[in-house]
Amino acid sequence: MASELTKDRLLQAYRTMRTIRDFEDRLHADFATGEIPGFVHLYAGEEASATGICMHLGKDDYIASTHRGHGHCIAKGVDVMGMMAEIWGKKTGTCRGKGGSMHIADLSLGMMGANGIVGGGGPLICGAALAMKLRKLDDVAICFFGDGASNQGTIFEALNLATVWNLPAIFVAENNGYAEATSSKYSVACDNIADRASAFGMPGVIVDGFDFFAVHEAAGEAIERARKGGGPTLLEVKLSRYYGHFEGDQQKYRAPNEVAHIKEAKDCLTTFAKRVTGAGQLTQAELSAIDAEVAALIEESVRRAKSDPKPAAADLMTDVYVSY
Amino acid sequence: MSYSNPASVGIIANPASGRDIRRLTAKATVFPTIEKANMIQRVLGALGAFGVGHVMMMPDMTGIAAAVERAIVAHRAEAHIPWPAVEFLNMDISESVTDTFNAVDLMVARGVAAIVVLGGDGTHRAVAMRCGDVPITTLSTGTNNAFPDLREATTAGFATGLLASGRVSRAEATLANKRIVVEACGRCEVALVDVCVTRHMHIASRAVWQPEALEELFVAFAEPDSVGLSSIAGLLQPVRRDEPHGLRVRFGRAGGSGVRRFVAPIAPGLLERVSVAKHGLMRPGERVRVVSGAGTVAVDGEREIEFGRGDTVEVMLDSNGPRTIDVARTLHIAATRGLLDV
Repeated sequence: MASELTKDRLLQAYRTMRTIRDFEDRLHADFATGEIPGFVHLYAGEEASATGICMHLGKDDYIASTHRGHGHCIAKGVDVMGMMAEIWGKKTGTCRGKGGSMHIADLSLGMMGANGIVGGGGPLICGAALAMKLRKLDDVAICFFGDGASNQGTIFEALNLATVWNLPAIFVAENNGYAEATSSKYSVACDNIADRASAFGMPGVIVDGFDFFAVHEAAGEAIERARKGGGPTLLEVKLSRYYGHFEGDQQKYRAPNEVAHIKEAKDCLTTFAKRVTGAGQLTQAELSAIDAEVAALIEESVRRAKSDPKPAAADLMTDVYVSY
Repeated sequence: MSYSNPASVGIIANPASGRDIRRLTAKATVFPTIEKANMIQRVLGALGAFGVGHVMMMPDMTGIAAAVERAIVAHRAEAHIPWPAVEFLNMDISESVTDTFNAVDLMVARGVAAIVVLGGDGTHRAVAMRCGDVPITTLSTGTNNAFPDLREATTAGFATGLLASGRVSRAEATLANKRIVVEACGRCEVALVDVCVTRHMHIASRAVWQPEALEELFVAFAEPDSVGLSSIAGLLQPVRRDEPHGLRVRFGRAGGSGVRRFVAPIAPGLLERVSVAKHGLMRPGERVRVVSGAGTVAVDGEREIEFGRGDTVEVMLDSNGPRTIDVARTLHIAATRGLLDV
């Protein structure tokens, strides 16, 4: 069976999802104080997607993220302390405080970056995947994008190229139902993004993005197939974001109690905990211990981020250009 | 040809069918929304030819109902045979199987003569759990379906129209079906084709395609030319739909004593080696208790119930499945009796 979930792996999955949730919940609270510069787009509610997919990856596999990229970064192993400092604009940040939320990148971990360009990740991973193929590696490249980006030409071009070159590329459409304030029911012509895969000659699968196990299983199959030379796949992960498009978004385009209902009925962390404890794979005490460790980690990351120095004027021109 | 009668027919089209992981792990068909809408139009044309005046249809959020609505407007402008008036049921949409349950409940309460179902084994199973003695017309739009017919929607609509208009009687047009009732962890589910106990710990992506995960299989019927888990039973010992019994299959380990090993199409294009330790008839009314470690119960090919070590899984075959319209027989009767003459 593909990608067996041992006890350690289950603990890792929960820790990653909990870290993303707490990281985002804390940013939601802190952004309201006005101390954090720039914009943040929070990933809370979507944790099962990044976690279920990135658990199959090593640091030599590449991912390209979106403007809503914190979850992808954490799941790919980017340092939480560095991320928090980056978002606070501090010199100790992942990108030395010059990128902020939408440009967190760590190429040493295969994280090609969050991306403010909607649909910008598709061509990037085609390049990464082509390099892997030419080097005869069994690594894969993954592009996360949203339902809004699913209508962008860059994504169509990338899907086409990935099939033409038979690339080890996985396209993950995280369909959270809204492109900013526009419902995907309105804006996505064929409604299911996965349906478009057949037009590009690749498998397209719809996955329940609230269910870690569903995402993990489907991603495992797609990634294993790509590693063996089977080519690209389009996964449509249907999920929901708990916060607005950006912090401060009043979300008047959503139904009353929509988020509350989703949290109550489908929350990925609650569902995960119920399943693994019900099956006797983990205990509530083990999960609670992780909750406490993660809470302490996030608290410490904020404490450090607040006290760390900002970049100095002398740093303005460093790390900007690369000499080849 | 034009008749008039007051009968209503229901239409359930599952917007989610034909999109699961088997597009990736096998070579399963993609069944786009627009083709489902096209099939419904073909059904409407056939029903209209028999003067069926009213159709109730389940609404959805993925574009099937919207496409049918657009087609109705276009049809008014061009066609000489009127379609039935289509009523999209006024109901909340949850985008889950609950929608099917609610729609069927409404259709049954309002006395439809038949329900046309577009979906896979899972969709038909959901309809069967609520339709009572209202007959269903089965149309496959799923993955590896054993229960519904893979046939042209026009002829399926034709047969439905013959039944709904009273031209062919219910006794002549419909068939009884078996079902398997499975109870585990306080849940009760109904299968129309098969129940499989698997070693998968979680429901996850639902489909079952890995032979090493199979523990025990129960089938209501077993056709050697089918695709899916029931094909394993069909290749061991065929069981017709009209026979009273089913089949029980216990899987074993390759190389084990007395284990029979053969190739079966457990998903479209996916031919896997399976190892069967033993098999035997499943008698109607006999409750079978499954002894297993932790795992999942798959119902008609989809994992539905997670159970732990020590939990009890019980299955029972009975003859209380839904009545289905036999399209071939109904049209044969119509032809021989001249029921289509104008």
